[in-house]
Amino acid sequence: MASSRKNRAADDGFGAIGFLRAAAEPALRRFLRANRGATYAEMRFEASFSRTASAVDGVPRDAAESANAALGVRVHCAAPGGVVGDGFTGVEVGRIATSRTKLAAALQSALAEAFDRARCSAREQTALRRTAPAAVVKALAAIGNVEPSTERAEVAATFRRDPRTLDPAELGRLCRSASAEIVGLGSDVAYNAVAALAELRHELFVNTAGANISQAFAFSQGDCYVVAATADGHQESYDTIGQQRGFECLADDWRDELTPNPGLHRFAVELARETREVAAAPLLKPPEGEVVVVTDPHFNALIAHEIIGHPCEADRALKMEAAYAGRSWFLRSLEHNEIGRPVGSPLLWACSDPTLNGYGHYLYDHEGTRGRRVTHLEGGVFRGFLNSRATAAALGVEPNGSARASEAWHAPLVRMSNTFFMPGESDPARMIAEVDRGYYVCGHLVPSIAESRENFRISARRVYEIEHGRIGRLFRSGSVIADSKSFFRAVDAVGNDLRLVAIPNCGKGQPMQVKRMSNGGPTLRSRARLGGG
Amino acid sequence: MRTTPEMRGFVREALALLSRQRDLGGFEVYVSSSEHRVARLNYTSDIPSRGVEEFKSLNADGFALRIVTARDAHETGSAAIAGDLSIEALREALARARRAAIVDPHFPGLPAGPRRLARSAEKSPTPELLRAKDDLLAAVAWKIIGGAIGAFRARMKLAMPHPGLVIGGDLSLIRDRIAIGGSHFDDLRVDQSAHFASSVTALVEALDAKGTATATGVSAADLIRAGARLGRDAIGRALALRHGERPAAGTYSVVMGPQPIAEILNYMVIPSLTTGAFQAANSAYQGRFGTPVMDARFNLVDDPRTNAGAIRRRITCEGLPATATELIREGRLLGLLSNYYDAHRLLNDEHRAEKLGPDAPSDPSFPAHSGYRLGESSARRFDGHPGATGSNVIMSARGGMSERELLAAVAEGIYIGRVWYTYPINGQRAGDFTCTVSGDSYVIRDGRLAAPLAPNHFRLNANIEQVFARPIGIGRRPEPALVWGSPETYIVPALALDAITLSAIGAADSD
Repeated sequence: MASSRKNRAADDGFGAIGFLRAAAEPALRRFLRANRGATYAEMRFEASFSRTASAVDGVPRDAAESANAALGVRVHCAAPGGVVGDGFTGVEVGRIATSRTKLAAALQSALAEAFDRARCSAREQTALRRTAPAAVVKALAAIGNVEPSTERAEVAATFRRDPRTLDPAELGRLCRSASAEIVGLGSDVAYNAVAALAELRHELFVNTAGANISQAFAFSQGDCYVVAATADGHQESYDTIGQQRGFECLADDWRDELTPNPGLHRFAVELARETREVAAAPLLKPPEGEVVVVTDPHFNALIAHEIIGHPCEADRALKMEAAYAGRSWFLRSLEHNEIGRPVGSPLLWACSDPTLNGYGHYLYDHEGTRGRRVTHLEGGVFRGFLNSRATAAALGVEPNGSARASEAWHAPLVRMSNTFFMPGESDPARMIAEVDRGYYVCGHLVPSIAESRENFRISARRVYEIEHGRIGRLFRSGSVIADSKSFFRAVDAVGNDLRLVAIPNCGKGQPMQVKRMSNGGPTLRSRARLGGG
Repeated sequence: MRTTPEMRGFVREALALLSRQRDLGGFEVYVSSSEHRVARLNYTSDIPSRGVEEFKSLNADGFALRIVTARDAHETGSAAIAGDLSIEALREALARARRAAIVDPHFPGLPAGPRRLARSAEKSPTPELLRAKDDLLAAVAWKIIGGAIGAFRARMKLAMPHPGLVIGGDLSLIRDRIAIGGSHFDDLRVDQSAHFASSVTALVEALDAKGTATATGVSAADLIRAGARLGRDAIGRALALRHGERPAAGTYSVVMGPQPIAEILNYMVIPSLTTGAFQAANSAYQGRFGTPVMDARFNLVDDPRTNAGAIRRRITCEGLPATATELIREGRLLGLLSNYYDAHRLLNDEHRAEKLGPDAPSDPSFPAHSGYRLGESSARRFDGHPGATGSNVIMSARGGMSERELLAAVAEGIYIGRVWYTYPINGQRAGDFTCTVSGDSYVIRDGRLAAPLAPNHFRLNANIEQVFARPIGIGRRPEPALVWGSPETYIVPALALDAITLSAIGAADSD
C-alpha cells in the first residue's frame, strides 16, 4: 500500500473528511464535464469508530473496536429526449480512506458505476415511453424539477468522553457487573444479556450544486435483554437507553429534560427486577369490548413510532413502500387524504423535530436539507408529512429535511427523527385517579400494525388494572388493540410528562436499513380493546 | 467484487504472518466480498413517480480476524477491517484484536474439523449471475413495469380516470464470495454464490384490489423469464381480487397459502429452532427437544445445498461444511440451527437438561452447519460474529392434499394468501402471534374460492400450536415463498386450519 506522507489522507477515516471537503466538489464537477448526459452528482462520505462490549449471564461475551468508512454516490443522467435516470452506488471503502490516491480512485469508480446505472435506467425508460400510452408517459414525467441543496455548514458532535480514547475494559466491566448482579437476583432469571456501545461518526455531503456539509455525531447506547421464568409463567423484556452524547451518559445517571436515563448498570438491574415481577404475574384475560386505557410515555413511544411516524413518511404515503412496509392511513390519494382534517381528539398534538437533543437528532439530512420541526397533528388535525426533496416536489411542498440513510452506502429514505406526541396539561396521577375501571399500560414491547397503519396491536411490558382510581393487580402478556383513528379520537386527557425514548433499530427499505431515532410522548388516556396471552 | 485468487492470496499471506506471532495460540482469517444490486420498482398512475427508484448497488469487502491467546485458551479477541486486504491492514486488525481480547470461560476454541475439505467446494454453482451486469437488471426491472402496465391496459377495457394503479417491489441480485483459513484448518476454504429475488406488488386502489408475484432463481435465464411474467402476474392477481368482501369478525376455518406459512415460520418458528434460543431460554419449544412439537405429518429441514432453493452455500462463515440440518422429523424436534459457539455453549450449560427437556438424548449433538455472518440481506459479510441462520427452509409432509381437497376440508371459511407484519406479540417463547391479512385472499364457500376478500380487512390472532400442531389438512406440494427482509428462502405447503380468530380492522376512511 502506498503510504507516503503526502498521499495519506489521515491515520483513520476521520482525517479523510478534511481532504474530501476540499477535493470532492471539484472531482464531482470534473466528472459531470467529462461525461455527456451527466446532469448532477452528489457524494456522501462517512467515517465511524465504535467500541462495543457485552456480557451474558455475568460472563464477558464480546468486545470489539471497529472503524469503517463508506461512500454513497448518486448521479443523474439525461438521455436523448430528456428522460433522467438515477443511479446510486454505495461502497464500504474502510481503510482505503486513509490513502488520498485510493480514496479518490474509489470515488471515481463509484461515480462511473452510478452513472452507468443512471444511463441504463434512462435508456430503458425512454424505450418504454416510446410504446406506452400518454397517461403513463405523463405519470413518469410528472415528478418535476427537484432543486438540489446548496447549503454549506459544519456541525460538531457533542460529547465529554471520546469513544476513541475510551478504555475498552471500562465498557466490558460495566456490562459484566450489571449482568452479574442480575444473575444474583435469583434463579428465576433464566438469561440476561447486557451490551454497551460508544460510537463516533463523521459525515460529509457534497454535491455539484455547491452544497458542502460536514456533521459529526456521538452515540452511546446500552441494551438489556432478560428472560425470567417462574412457576407461574415467563416473561421476556428488553429495553434500550441511548443518547447522542459520549460514554458519560451510560456510566452514570443522565439528567436531561426530555430523555433522562439511569446509568446502564441501574437501568439493566431495574429491568431485570421488573421482568421477574411480571413473570410471576397472572396472564391478562382481556375483558370484552373497549375499556379505558391510560398509556405511559414509554408505551406511547411505540404508538408515536408506528401510527404517527411511519405513516407520516412521504415515501410511504406516496405508495413507494407499498410492496414492503405498506401505505399510510393519512393519504389515500393526492385528492383524497387527511391533510387539514381531524383524525384525533383536539387534545392531541404530534410532531417530528430533529433539532431536539434526542437519539434522532441532526441538523441536516442526507440530501443536504436543513432539518426542522414538522407538525403532524395540531389539535387533532393532520397537518403534514416528513419528506425528501423528490417527495416534497411530488406533494408540492417545501422539503423539510427528512431524507436519511442508516449508513453512507445506503440510499436515503424518508425517516423519522425525534417523533412524539406533544405534552398536554394533565397530571398523570390525576389521569389515573379519574378512572373508575380501566387499565394502566406501561412500557412497549412488540408492535403489529395493519398495512396502512390504520389499526394496531402493541404489546406492553406491564398492564395494571385500575379500580376506583387506584392501580391494582399487575398482569403479563397484555396488549392494546385499536383502530388508529378511533383511538386518537377517544383521547380525553394528555399528560404533562413528555419523555423521549431511544429507538435503536427501526427497519425500513430494501435492503433493510436499521436506523436510530427517538419517539415518545406524555401519558395518554383513551379507549381500546385489550389482547391477552 | 474481489476475485477468488485475490482473497485466497490475502488469507495465505495473513496466515503466514499470524503463525509467527508467539503470543497466539490460534487464529482465523475470514474474507468476504459481497454485492447487492437493487432496482426498486415504483410506478404510480396518479402520483408522480420514476418507475424505477434507487437503482443501486451496495458493495462491501473486507476481512475479520479472530485470535486466541497462547496464555489462555479462553482468551479471544476479534477485529474487522473494511476495504483493504493488505498486510498493513492485517497488522492493524491484530493490534485491535489484542486490545479487544476478553476471557470468556465459555469460548470453545475456533471451529475445527474436518481439517481439510475437498477443492470442489470452490466451484460456483451460479456462474452466470456472478457475471451479470447492470444492463440486464435495468432491462428486466423495466420489463416488469412495462409488463404490468400492459397487462392492466389489456384487462381494463374501460379507461378509468384515476385507477390508483401502484406497481411496487424490487428486483435484487445478491452475490458474495468468502475465503477462510486458520490455525485449525489445513486448507484455505472458498465459496461463492449468486441469486436473484424479486417481489412485485400491484394495487388498483380504485378497485380495492391487491395482488403479488414473486420469483427467485440462480440463472440469468430464470431472471429474464421472471421479468417477462412478474408484472403481468401481479396485475392479474390484483384484478381477480377487486371489490373484495368484508366478512364479520369471528372464528373461521382457513386455508393458509405458502406465503403466510413462510411468514409464520420465519418470524415465529425458525428463531426458536436455534441453539442460541434454547440457551437464552426463549424458544417456543423450550424443554421440548426430542418431543412432538408439530403434527406428525410434518418434516422441516434447512438445506443450503438443495437445487430447489435460491441460496447455495458450500461452507459456513466459520469454514465448516454447510449441509442440511434436519429440524423436525414427523413432527418431532430433532435438530437446531447452530453456530460453533452456541452449540458448545448449550451442550455445556449446567441447565442443559432443563432447557432441552426430559426427552432430549443424553448426549445431544448440534453440528454447527448454520454459522453465517450476514448483514441486512442474505449476502455474507466480513464483520460481525457468526449467527445461526437458515438458508433454504423446506417444510414437507406426507399424505398431502390437493388445493381442491384443502378447500373442501374447510368448506366454509377464508383462504389467506398473504399476511403482513407477523410478530411474536408476547415474546418468542409464548408462541402467540398477530398479523394482518394483506392481500391475495378469498372467502371460501361450499369448498370453493367463492369471492375475493378485501385486503387489510382482518387481523389474525393465534398461536403457532394452532397452525402446526393440529392442521385439518396439509398441501401436497411445497412452493417457494419469499419473506421481506429474511435471510432465508422458504419452500412450504399450504395448510388448512380450524378455529382461527380473525378480528375486523376498521376502514381507514381517508376518503
